[in-house]
Amino acid sequence: MARKNAKAPHPQVAVGLEAGPFHERIAALNSQYGWMDWMGFASPSVLDNVEFEYFAIRNQSTLFDISPMCKYAIEGADAEAVVNRLVTRDIRKLKPGRVAYVIWCDEDGNVIDDGTVFRLAEDRFRLCCQEPQLAWLEDVAWGFDATIRDVSREMAALALQGPTSAALLRALAVKEMEQLKPFDFAAVRIGRKVVELSRTGFTGDLGYELWMKPQDAVAVWDDLVGAGGQQGLRVIGYQAVEMARIEAGFLLPKTDFLSSRTALRTDRPSTPFELGLERMIAFDKPHFNGRRALLRLAGSTPRRRLVQMEVGKDKPAANALVYHRKKKEVGMVTSALWSPTCKQNIAYAWLDAPYGETESGDLWVEIYLQKEIRWQRRMERCRIAEKPFFVHQRRSATPPGDY
Amino acid sequence: MKRGERVIVIGAGHNGLIAAGLLAKRGLKPLVLEARGHVGGMMGDPDFRLSTMPFAVWPQVLRALGIDVAFEPMTTLVPTPQGVVGISTEQVVGAEDGQAAAYRALMSRLERQASALSGLLLKPPPNLASSGFGDLLGLAGTGLKLRGLGKTELRDLLRIVLSNIHDLIEDEIGDGPLAAALAVDATLGSAMGPRSPGTVLTLLLRMARNRGMRVMPKGGIDILTGKLENAVMACGGEIRTNAPVERILVEGDRVTGVQLAGGEIVPSAAVLSSAAPATTLLDLLGPQHLDAEFVRRCRKTASTGMVARIDFDLKDAPRFSGGTAPSGKDRIVIAESAAAVEAAFNAAKYGELPKQPVMEAHYDDRNRRLSVSAQFIPCSLKGGWKEESRRALQRLVERELARVFPGFGSLAAAARLMTAQDMAAAYRVPGGHWHHGELRIDQLLMLRPFDGAAHYAMPVEGLYLCGAGAHPGGDISGAPGFNGAQALLAGRRR
Repeated sequence: MARKNAKAPHPQVAVGLEAGPFHERIAALNSQYGWMDWMGFASPSVLDNVEFEYFAIRNQSTLFDISPMCKYAIEGADAEAVVNRLVTRDIRKLKPGRVAYVIWCDEDGNVIDDGTVFRLAEDRFRLCCQEPQLAWLEDVAWGFDATIRDVSREMAALALQGPTSAALLRALAVKEMEQLKPFDFAAVRIGRKVVELSRTGFTGDLGYELWMKPQDAVAVWDDLVGAGGQQGLRVIGYQAVEMARIEAGFLLPKTDFLSSRTALRTDRPSTPFELGLERMIAFDKPHFNGRRALLRLAGSTPRRRLVQMEVGKDKPAANALVYHRKKKEVGMVTSALWSPTCKQNIAYAWLDAPYGETESGDLWVEIYLQKEIRWQRRMERCRIAEKPFFVHQRRSATPPGDY
Repeated sequence: MKRGERVIVIGAGHNGLIAAGLLAKRGLKPLVLEARGHVGGMMGDPDFRLSTMPFAVWPQVLRALGIDVAFEPMTTLVPTPQGVVGISTEQVVGAEDGQAAAYRALMSRLERQASALSGLLLKPPPNLASSGFGDLLGLAGTGLKLRGLGKTELRDLLRIVLSNIHDLIEDEIGDGPLAAALAVDATLGSAMGPRSPGTVLTLLLRMARNRGMRVMPKGGIDILTGKLENAVMACGGEIRTNAPVERILVEGDRVTGVQLAGGEIVPSAAVLSSAAPATTLLDLLGPQHLDAEFVRRCRKTASTGMVARIDFDLKDAPRFSGGTAPSGKDRIVIAESAAAVEAAFNAAKYGELPKQPVMEAHYDDRNRRLSVSAQFIPCSLKGGWKEESRRALQRLVERELARVFPGFGSLAAAARLMTAQDMAAAYRVPGGHWHHGELRIDQLLMLRPFDGAAHYAMPVEGLYLCGAGAHPGGDISGAPGFNGAQALLAGRRR
């Protein structure tokens, strides 16, 4: 628990940003006054020190407010048909009590957004994603017996992530947690409040997400924080989450790819094939949005491909261009990080075809370094990696380990 | 498709019959399924025709079907307090000299411009995304024809093509009965007034064939319908009336047939639908087979009908105040001026009955029946269509007719009325629109019926559009039916 006895900082009101359900608690801990705009809410970027916060994700447990996520309830007799029509995966295979990572495409087969679908019951789903989708969902549901409701403000949510997160829930006597496999969820009791607990997250580590009514938010927070001392629970900001998500191999809209709904230039959107998500397309299910375009795309070579790369030495290749044989420009880096856990210099990059497909050798990134006001250019060799950098068996072990 | 294979054609309107006739000629076995009890669609019901005065079917279409119909041009009569103005292919009589000359000059210019555009109509609209050599050649042909207009007229065409007919009339001939006739021709069947942008283009497209003149098939309208019907049957096609299609069946993203309202399933590898695009795609096929954007564009297509049809059975021929009676070869346009046409549209725009509806009428002397199309009668009337509002509309029309035909009230024996709302239900056309969708610039050519659906072949393999909703649009021309059938024969895919 961070800075429990520190003098409370001045109350902070971020100009133009709204206070979320946990704002009071987070503001009291935000000694850096670091706020960012997440869907109009004041979301902490860093509370005291990004390194401490990052290491808490990998070694202790962490709390991060994910209430600003967009959340939609899709309900009714045709709810399954609507969700199945929306996403590329076959949602008929998703059982109640399970969560699925999904992407959805426009009629040209370009990705609109990614997110998670919770199946609450046979005829009730919840979609969580980064970008507002109400108008799109209403278009998809037109003509079907299903209602779409924006429930973003009817729910507060917390990400409880890190190896000791299960131990913390155990300390709170949350028994249902023992049987939860990754992508399971169940209703549990934290103190006197009922919350929905899902074994999901954005860090690639053992972790959970808790979904609750906004009016229960502070009580649940206090219970978690009150019990978390033994497990080294730390409240964190987005910068640390960003480091963990790059290691874990998760894509970030607006950084690694652009939604086809917001792109202006026709070549900016990306297809699932370009994003390396073709395994998420179920061509054998009934018609879904973009199916015909995706079938056509499946038969052709993608224009470019988003790849994970290992870069030489230790300087992150942020915003770097990628070269073939140090000469020909063949791509660009979208996210980059020196991974403290993997002890690797890692990056995501777009490579124009055929690089990243048939041509994958002799690739270089151009890194700019500033050393005491002087800029240096460094060509560093890079290599395409096939798997996410951070993979740990504790993420999926059931029952979860007691660290 | 192989010879002898069955193709289902939905709807036995003239477009459906023409499409079926062409397919039959090429050795396929078309089965035309018509929901109503008669063939001929909007012009086919002998008891109450929605379309009483067709435009000329393209001669190329009739030639392709191997049928011969003689069309007699009709004379447009515009009654005014000073007498009746007559407009025929040869002359304008009864109008002020200066205006008549200006009218003729404008019309011959528009005719040249319309004929230069006509090359775009009897073939699929240009495909801008992926043009083949044939597409480009066709476009180049139209380009050459446009250049052939000469610098002045081409520049003039580009100046007026997107503008409104009211401005053009004001510039060229001044308001009056001739202007009224032009304004009616530019807005007929539309939810657009003479001042609405794009009405010049609507007029030009109408004039692209037979100079926009109405025609009457020699021997009556049923002769045309009968010959189209025969063209289908003669080559082994089949027509079933009272056979409403309920669902288009799909398996593995391919059409497999249709299901009729009674539950009967008729298998077929291809379905051509002359029903309205929204009816075909959203009701019969269903949005579950289509992408959300496609469905959105389909349901947002402008299709608001503003024509009400009234038939009066008369005891005797109606007579103008001068004493003459219209003949079966006359088309009567009742509108004082272009400004009056705009005023009528203004009321309808806000869901109200106009004080003075614009009317087009035809008197069938054999059956002593006066058929009136009252324009700018909103489909969704404020407060809804009730018995009371229907009577109010009938009284309004009778009052206006009595102004033109003195003593009309004592002549009228019985009246039948169909509002656009009735047409919507009876012919399964959204908004009861004559043309299965507004004929305006954003719904023409490669945007007809809507973006992404312009080339007859629909996303589900084997489904084609061949009705007025498809390019080049409504009126009795036969071009959508012809083009739709050609698309299927050429094996076009979306």
